[in-house]
Amino acid sequence: MLLDFGITLLKVLFILGVTVGFFAPILTWVERKQSAIMQDRIGANRADILGFRALGLFHIMADGLKMFTKEDFIPRGANPVLHTLSPIVALIPAIITFAVVPFGGVYEIFGKQVNLVIADLDVGILFVFAIASIATYGYVIAGWSSNNNWSLLGSMRTTAQMISYEVTMGLTIIGVLMVYESMKLTEIGAAQESFFHWGVFMQPLGFIMFLTASIAENKRIPFDAPEAESELVAGYFTEYSGLKFGMFFMAEFIEMVTISAIVTILFFGAWHIPFIGTATLFSLFDFLGTTGSNIVVMLIHVGVFFTKVVFFIWFQMTIRWTLPRFRYDQIMDLGWKILLPLSLANIFVTGFILI
Amino acid sequence: MAYYVNRNVKLTFWEKIYIPEIIRGMIITSRHFFSNLFGFIPFLAGKKDRKIFTVYYPEEMVEYPIAYRGRPVLAINEKGNFNCVACGLCEAACPAYCIDITPGCNSGKQNELERFPDKFSIDYAICIFCGNCEEACPEEAIFMSNDCEISMLDRRKMKYNKEQLSTPISELKDRVEFVRNMNAKWNFRN
Repeated sequence: MLLDFGITLLKVLFILGVTVGFFAPILTWVERKQSAIMQDRIGANRADILGFRALGLFHIMADGLKMFTKEDFIPRGANPVLHTLSPIVALIPAIITFAVVPFGGVYEIFGKQVNLVIADLDVGILFVFAIASIATYGYVIAGWSSNNNWSLLGSMRTTAQMISYEVTMGLTIIGVLMVYESMKLTEIGAAQESFFHWGVFMQPLGFIMFLTASIAENKRIPFDAPEAESELVAGYFTEYSGLKFGMFFMAEFIEMVTISAIVTILFFGAWHIPFIGTATLFSLFDFLGTTGSNIVVMLIHVGVFFTKVVFFIWFQMTIRWTLPRFRYDQIMDLGWKILLPLSLANIFVTGFILI
Repeated sequence: MAYYVNRNVKLTFWEKIYIPEIIRGMIITSRHFFSNLFGFIPFLAGKKDRKIFTVYYPEEMVEYPIAYRGRPVLAINEKGNFNCVACGLCEAACPAYCIDITPGCNSGKQNELERFPDKFSIDYAICIFCGNCEEACPEEAIFMSNDCEISMLDRRKMKYNKEQLSTPISELKDRVEFVRNMNAKWNFRN
C-alpha cells in the first residue's frame, strides 16, 4: 500500500518535473530561438551571467525573475476574485490532463508491476477532453472579469472556437477508439506495437484533423484569433501582468506538451520504436536479469516517448512560424463546414472497413 | 502608391485542399531552420553557407551612407575657429525654430574674428533633421553629422550649446564634399 503510494508520488513528481519544471520554461526559449533560426536571425542571447551567455538560456531565468517582481495589476472595475481565479482555472487542467497520459508501458521491477501512468482510468481519453474543456472557463472568466472590451471580444472568440473544434476533436477520436476497441490510453498505446498498426496508418485523415483541431484548441497560430495581437492587443489576457500573465503563458506551453503527448499515444505508436518490438528489446538486454532489463527497457521507452513528444512540439512550432492567421469566418467555416463533415465521414468509412 | 489587390484569385483544386500548400510552406521554413541550425550553433561544426546579417547594435555599428542626416553640428576649421559668421540664415531656414543664435560683438582690435556667434544652440528635442540649415549655410559652417544617438532622460539637456555642438571639420570631410556636390547640382553659388 505504502509502496504503491510512493510509486505514484514518484510518477507525479516526474510528470510535474517534466512539464512544469522542464518543458514550460524551456519552450519559452525554444519558441524565440526557433523562430529566429527559421527567419535567419540569431534570437535571444543578451541575458548573460558573468559574460557567459549559453545560447540565451539565461533568458528563462530573466523572464521568471521579471514575472515574479512585476506589479500584479487589477484594473479598476474588474472583479478581483474572478480576475485572480481565472489563470488558475486555465493552468490547472493543462497539468491535470497528464494524469492519464501514459509515458511508458508496464514493467516488472523487483517483482512489482509498475505501470507508467499516474491514473490508468477506463475512460482515459474522455477524461482528457472533460478536463481540457474546463480550461475554457478560465479563458471566458478572464475575458469577462477584466472589464476590458478587447478581453471580452477575445474570450467570446475563444468560447466559439473551443466549442466548434471540440466537436471535431471528439468525433475524430471515435475513429481511433473503433480501431483499437478501447478508451484506455494505456491499451491504445500498447496496441500500437507493430509499426503498421500505428494510428497514422489506421487513421491518416483522423490524424490530420485531430492535429488541426488540437492546435485550434490551444489557440496558437494559425488559429490564434482569440489572442490576435494585431486585432485584440492580447485577447483575453490583455489586462494581466506579472505571474498571472505567466500562468496563462505556461498553460499554453503545457497544453502544447499535452497535445503532443496525446497525438503521440493515439497516432504515433506511443512509446514503441518502429520495427523493434518490446520482446526484441527485452531479449537484447536479457543478460541484465529480469529487473535490470526491465529498467533499461523502461528508460528506453520513456526516452522514445519524449523524443516523439519533442518532435511534435517542434512540428507545432514550425506550423506556428510558417502559417498566417486565419480570418475569423474562415476558422468557423473550417470547423463546421469542412472538419465536422469530414470527421463524420471518417467514422462511417472506418466502420465499413472494420465490418 | 496605392496598389490593386486581387481578392478573387481562382485557386486550383490542389491549392484549395490546403494541406499540400502547408507542407510546401513548412518545407521552406524547415529548410531554413536546418541550414541555419548548423550555421549558428558553434559547437556543431556544420556548413556555414549562409551569412548572418544580424548586427549587435551597441557593440557593432553599421556604416551610415554619407547622405544620412544625423544631428546638425557646427564645424570648426583648421585654425580652431567657428566657420559660422552668425548670419542667421539657418535660423531663418529652420522650419522647427530649433536654432537660436546670438551674434558676438567685435571689439575692433586687430587679429580678431570679424563675425562670430556668441551663443549658438540647437534644441534636438525640436529639431526635425530636415537639413535645411545645412543647405542655407553660405559659409560651410553647419553640417548634418551621422550621429543619431541623442536620447536623454532630461528634455532640457537636449538643448546643445556652442561648445557641445562644435566638431572639427576634419571629421566632416565626406559630408562637406557631399554638400558641395549637392549645391553644385542645384546651381547654387557656394
